[in-house]
Amino acid sequence: MNEHVAGEPLVKYRNIGKRFGATEVLSDINFDIYPGEKVAMIGPSGSGKTTLARMLMTLEKPSKGTIEVGGELLWHRNVNGRLMEANASHLRKVRGQIGMVFQHFNLFPHMTILRNIMEAQVHVLGRTKQEAKEQAVKLLEKVGLADKCNAYPAQLSGGQQQRVAMARALVMKPKIMLFDEVTSALDPELVGEVLEVIREIAEEEEMAMLLITHEMAFARDIADRVVFMAEGQIIEQGPPKQIFNQPKHQRTMNFLSRFSAQSQSV
Amino acid sequence: MWSWDFAISILPQLLQAMIVTIEATIVGFVIAALLGLLWTLCKRSPFTPLRIAVNAFVEFIKSTPLLVQLYFIFFVFPAFGVSLSPFLAGVLGLGLHYSTYLTEVFRTGIDAIPKGQWEAGSALNFSRVKIWTQIIMPQAIPPIIPMLGNYFIVMFKETPLLSAISLVEMVQTAQMIGSASFRYVEAFTDVGIIFLVLSYPASLIVGVINKRIKQRFGQSI
Repeated sequence: MNEHVAGEPLVKYRNIGKRFGATEVLSDINFDIYPGEKVAMIGPSGSGKTTLARMLMTLEKPSKGTIEVGGELLWHRNVNGRLMEANASHLRKVRGQIGMVFQHFNLFPHMTILRNIMEAQVHVLGRTKQEAKEQAVKLLEKVGLADKCNAYPAQLSGGQQQRVAMARALVMKPKIMLFDEVTSALDPELVGEVLEVIREIAEEEEMAMLLITHEMAFARDIADRVVFMAEGQIIEQGPPKQIFNQPKHQRTMNFLSRFSAQSQSV
Repeated sequence: MWSWDFAISILPQLLQAMIVTIEATIVGFVIAALLGLLWTLCKRSPFTPLRIAVNAFVEFIKSTPLLVQLYFIFFVFPAFGVSLSPFLAGVLGLGLHYSTYLTEVFRTGIDAIPKGQWEAGSALNFSRVKIWTQIIMPQAIPPIIPMLGNYFIVMFKETPLLSAISLVEMVQTAQMIGSASFRYVEAFTDVGIIFLVLSYPASLIVGVINKRIKQRFGQSI
């Protein structure tokens, strides 16, 4: 796959911790994502994978540590060497480089598919309606739903909705796109079509991707690097072959063996 | 006792006054809706003192009688240099009072929007204002239209209170006809019928809208 993994990281997590009340969900995470890199993140539920992604999308605030995107602090501002909390306009500026696809699609139910994809282009990027429409149609073709322009989300299957959600995020041309268990809410027979689109995006697009997934075979296939998380920590990471064939940690082995046992029993 | 001729002869005068009643309802409702929405937004503000102040104010208005508020606006405000006409004082009082109910209606509508909608808006980098205007409100309003409609009818039926601050609406007009002719029966019966003729179809319309919305949005709140 992509081997242009070099230079400065696009995203830097530094000493990131997160607690919800008394529960510590992430402890002291240091983690980089390079421009164009496709990273798959695996691990048991509750291991903090989603929280890590949501912090980057600014949906969840870190309890400690910093995140940098493109060399700029995300949650903070550096004022004379002191870290201050970033204001809303700073968050908006840095957030523009990040896109996200959600487990439950989160399409706007009151808009047609076309408008779902046009809306942010017009109101956030300031594109004209005409331009936004052209871009939207182009991306709908890419995800194979050009004929659904005028349908409403409720008229689409889950798999189709998720493909629209990907087009909607993609049209904003983020430098990194987060996929948060995007097939977990789908009926099994619809998973394939969504994975197929992700595979295409991974192959064609320059942007970095962080893919939180339980689809192990898929992760092995498309990722440049696989990260295994458990109990709020990164246990190990490396090329897919190494993680899946020769995991170094007992915990990774346990997780992977449980997983293959499960998927065989289904 | 009952005179059909008299009952019919005073109708033009009462229908004239009905226009004032309807105007007061519409203007009062618009004020109630705007203020109600404003309270709802203030109650969600991250600025705690504002939240506390608005909550206290809304509770205060809600737990005191509309009539007292009307008297206050009409008779006490002039002491502070604010003299309002009966109509203006009336719609202001009515609007203010019902804004405290409508704020609850708006809250219900907004609370029903899944968290994922806010998050999707954020993830697409919409500004706070655009999230409200493009994503949240267009989804929050349609399901609460029946509730808003019901409050509109309730407010319509509350307008006779405005006669207490000398607004010449229907009930005040009937009162004047009665005292001039000693024929209260016809005057107030007419008023009752006019209210019925207007409110009942209105509530039927609200019922139809409710049904339509249920079909469209699955269930109403």
